[in-house]
Amino acid sequence: MTAQGLSIAGAAPKAVFRVEGVKKDYRMGEVTVSALREVTLEVYEGEFLVILGPSGSGKSTLLNIIGGIDTASEGRVWFRDDELSAYGESQLTQYRRHHIGFVFQFYNLMPNLTAEENVEMATEISRNPLPAREALRLVDLTERGAHFPSQLSGGEQQRVAIARAVAKQPEILLCDEPTGALDFTTGKIVLDVLNEINRSLGTTVIVITHNASIGDMAHRVVRMMDGHVRDITVNAKRKTASELDW
Amino acid sequence: MRVLDKKLLRTLWWSRGQSLAVAAVVLCGTACYIAIASAHSNLELTRSTYYAHYRFADFEIMLERAPLTSVFRLESLPGVRQVRGRIVEDVNVDLEGADEPRIGRIVSMPNRQEHVINDICLLEGRYFSEGNPNEVILSKRFAEANRLVLGDRIEASIDNKKHSLRIVGIALSPEYVYMIRSVQELVPNSERFGILWVPQEFAETALDMKEACNNIVGSVEDPEQLDAILERAEDMLKPYGVFAKVKGEDQISNRFISDEIKGLEVMAKIIPALFQGIAALVLLVLLNRMVRKERTEIGLLKAYGYSSLAVAFHYVKYALALSIAGSLAGFAVGQWLANGMIRMYVEFYDFPLLRSRVYFDILARSMAIGIGFSLLGALFAALRAMRIRPAESMRPEAPRYAHRTLLERVPALWRRLSFTWKMIGRNMSRNAFRSSLNAFGVMISSGILIMGFFSLDAMDYMLEFQFEVAQREDVKVSFQIERGKDALYEAARFDHVRYAEPLLQYPFEVRSEWRKKDVVVIGVPRGARLQRLINAKQEPVDVGATGLTLSDRLARDLGVGVGDTLTLKPLMGRITKERTLVVSQIVEQYLGSSAYMDFDALSRLLDEPFAANAVLLRVERGMERDLSRHLKDVPGVAAVEIKADSLKGLQDTIEMSAQISNTMNIVFAAVIAFAVIYNITAVSLAERQRELASLRVLGFTTQEVGRILYHENFALCIVGLILGIPFGAGICRLLVNAYDNELYRLPFHLDTGTFVTATVLSFFFVVLANLAVRRQIRKLDMVEVLKERE
Repeated sequence: MTAQGLSIAGAAPKAVFRVEGVKKDYRMGEVTVSALREVTLEVYEGEFLVILGPSGSGKSTLLNIIGGIDTASEGRVWFRDDELSAYGESQLTQYRRHHIGFVFQFYNLMPNLTAEENVEMATEISRNPLPAREALRLVDLTERGAHFPSQLSGGEQQRVAIARAVAKQPEILLCDEPTGALDFTTGKIVLDVLNEINRSLGTTVIVITHNASIGDMAHRVVRMMDGHVRDITVNAKRKTASELDW
Repeated sequence: MRVLDKKLLRTLWWSRGQSLAVAAVVLCGTACYIAIASAHSNLELTRSTYYAHYRFADFEIMLERAPLTSVFRLESLPGVRQVRGRIVEDVNVDLEGADEPRIGRIVSMPNRQEHVINDICLLEGRYFSEGNPNEVILSKRFAEANRLVLGDRIEASIDNKKHSLRIVGIALSPEYVYMIRSVQELVPNSERFGILWVPQEFAETALDMKEACNNIVGSVEDPEQLDAILERAEDMLKPYGVFAKVKGEDQISNRFISDEIKGLEVMAKIIPALFQGIAALVLLVLLNRMVRKERTEIGLLKAYGYSSLAVAFHYVKYALALSIAGSLAGFAVGQWLANGMIRMYVEFYDFPLLRSRVYFDILARSMAIGIGFSLLGALFAALRAMRIRPAESMRPEAPRYAHRTLLERVPALWRRLSFTWKMIGRNMSRNAFRSSLNAFGVMISSGILIMGFFSLDAMDYMLEFQFEVAQREDVKVSFQIERGKDALYEAARFDHVRYAEPLLQYPFEVRSEWRKKDVVVIGVPRGARLQRLINAKQEPVDVGATGLTLSDRLARDLGVGVGDTLTLKPLMGRITKERTLVVSQIVEQYLGSSAYMDFDALSRLLDEPFAANAVLLRVERGMERDLSRHLKDVPGVAAVEIKADSLKGLQDTIEMSAQISNTMNIVFAAVIAFAVIYNITAVSLAERQRELASLRVLGFTTQEVGRILYHENFALCIVGLILGIPFGAGICRLLVNAYDNELYRLPFHLDTGTFVTATVLSFFFVVLANLAVRRQIRKLDMVEVLKERE
């Protein structure tokens, strides 16, 4: 696999993540379930990567391990030159804090805080944050900043979540089914925002989804099945979010 | 077992931390109730049995000297049942090898054993034998403390003559259950004061009281008539110098026991209600959360055909289970505490039959109280469960709208708050009831702490006031009769004496309009340095050349103030003339209630140029013992008291009992604070699991996430303390009012240290509760958060 498909023309592709022979087993009482059977993968700096797969394919597990909220049973994961799989609990926390932005399917905003305050929450713990208003502007929600999550639509809530993730200026944005709870139109708006962030800020974006058509907007698409990477394709031509259809 | 009951057991097990905390509060409530109510029943029952069996007197009249024939006349008064004339006198007792003075109170008993009023309860040995007047029966503790056994001899100095008495018996008496010589002693000192019951024959001879008595005790048919009877008795005995009439209820020993019983009665009402009320409130929060969480399950159960009542009862059972478990454990702890309390009472009170018992009615009542309160706590949740309709329950509950808090009205301030504090602020206002309950828990807990520390503060203050500020002598020497100036000079000339001051104490009847009181008027020299008077502003004031200085309690009893006139009638001696005096000032006095006037003026009132019945001495450091050894052999000396000894004994005893009760108070305060804060935080954590776990995903450390909960608890702890300090002070004020009688009253005094300790302990309890939830914060499951909504 080469990085020829990346839009950052001319630059040699640098890996942000190297996943080497990662396995993950869950003990569910008496039985052991293998979520990842053996995954090897590289993620390149600045790319928009979509991981596709049906539920149970292991894509969420892989994302969780990369995101540092879960650990591999076997194999190694590298974040640039550091071995992530050797990190302890507090190192992982620091790692999430400074390098990773998470976007969840169900937004997970603090119901107690307004949109702007939800973003501020993230800026308070990062070294070089975007101002909360600036982050909200990126997702085109400046005028809704004083609303509580319960007063916002699902798409708006997801954009607040993205603003919250972006405000930390993370190198990597991890999105777990970001459109899963949204309707078609709203979903596309959210994807457009993610694409825009990848393009303008150079943030590496990893989106996991079971929606195959989202793959069309990625630089590369990783297809997973039964805890394996089935194949990886490079999109010669990427679609914009508005061109997607499902 | 029914399926619902299995579910109940699992719920109990899965929330065992919280269940335990609730059960612990119920346990404390039950245990306290059992301990206090049992002690109350026990003391009351024991006292009434004891008094009935040994005929505790309804009244006591102290006089100078009355012929025994007058006693018979008294007995013929209508309403009087039985009367006994006896001789009572405090004397110095010499024991081999003891250098501290001991005071024995001679109390005469019939030569031959009879069923008399204020009888004695012989524990060892026998009654006096005929023809052997030099026999003595000793009070039990005095004998024990001085290692005296049957057959030993003791020497009593009576009227400058030494009498050797052989111990033939050891006994107790209903009159001296709480054995103190005077109210100034406050707590018993069994080594230094005891009772010497002697044959009438011996007392009459030794004290030169042939066919006479100086103390009359009696019983009446109807206690309602007591006042009237005492009036008539006083008239009848007027020629014999009546200087005090004491009703049974005012008798020193009885008064102390009554106050204790009264205190227990009040506490038995308040304490369990407090604990059980808190348990009910915590249950309310727990069960409400449970019903909300199990909404869908409740709907499902109903859809399957369970009745609303059956489902509601499921939650009631949860409350009942905790309450019953707490109560049963409380029985054991309560009985153990009750034993402990009885052991403590045995330290202070001499009852022949005081022992721990199990009162089944109290156990039943405590169980009923616990169950009643837990039902109250479960009621709301049960009703909520009943109202849930199956169809609705399948849909998620409508989201709870966050709303703006008061603080946000001040944007400048709000903007400055970190997001942690913003979350805390909103969470508090969203869950106003829980937040209030949290603060309420701290308020009650700190109130209990302050109340507990107060008793020690007040006692310390009282002792310091009495023994450092007001009474500044090292040694007090009392004379048998009034003495002239030579006695003062003589005392001042003794070795090691640096300074001497005379004192005259004389009983009067003080009257203002229809109010009258028998009072000891104390003559203090002007510019006195050793017996000082302290006013309400805590400044020493001079007694003044004219006029009468009253203690505040006495002024209140007589309904007079500065400038009012009082009539004084001497109760002793040959002086009968009444005088009128003006109240010149009011002073503070916590122990006893006296009046003061200029020493010379009081002497003149007795038609003497100089009359002292005691001298106060300042002595070279460490020489008190040497001096007292000399003094007790000096003719005319009735008693020698070393202040440091009295103070030491007092402090030790108070310290000991305060330590026991403070340990208990701290435990109770801790249980209340912990149970309330821990449960509320755990409920809050459970409710906000998703929210807090996603913070962890975003890179917040466990500490940072925890802080949102911890800081909220600290903030509420501050609110609780702000309420708790005045609340605690209010309880202390009530205590001061409750323990305000002629014998003693508590000063309303709280040390700064008490507030500091209460504050520090409250924060410590919050830290404990925070630590307890920390484990659950660590366990927050980040992977779960990314999955489906709950």
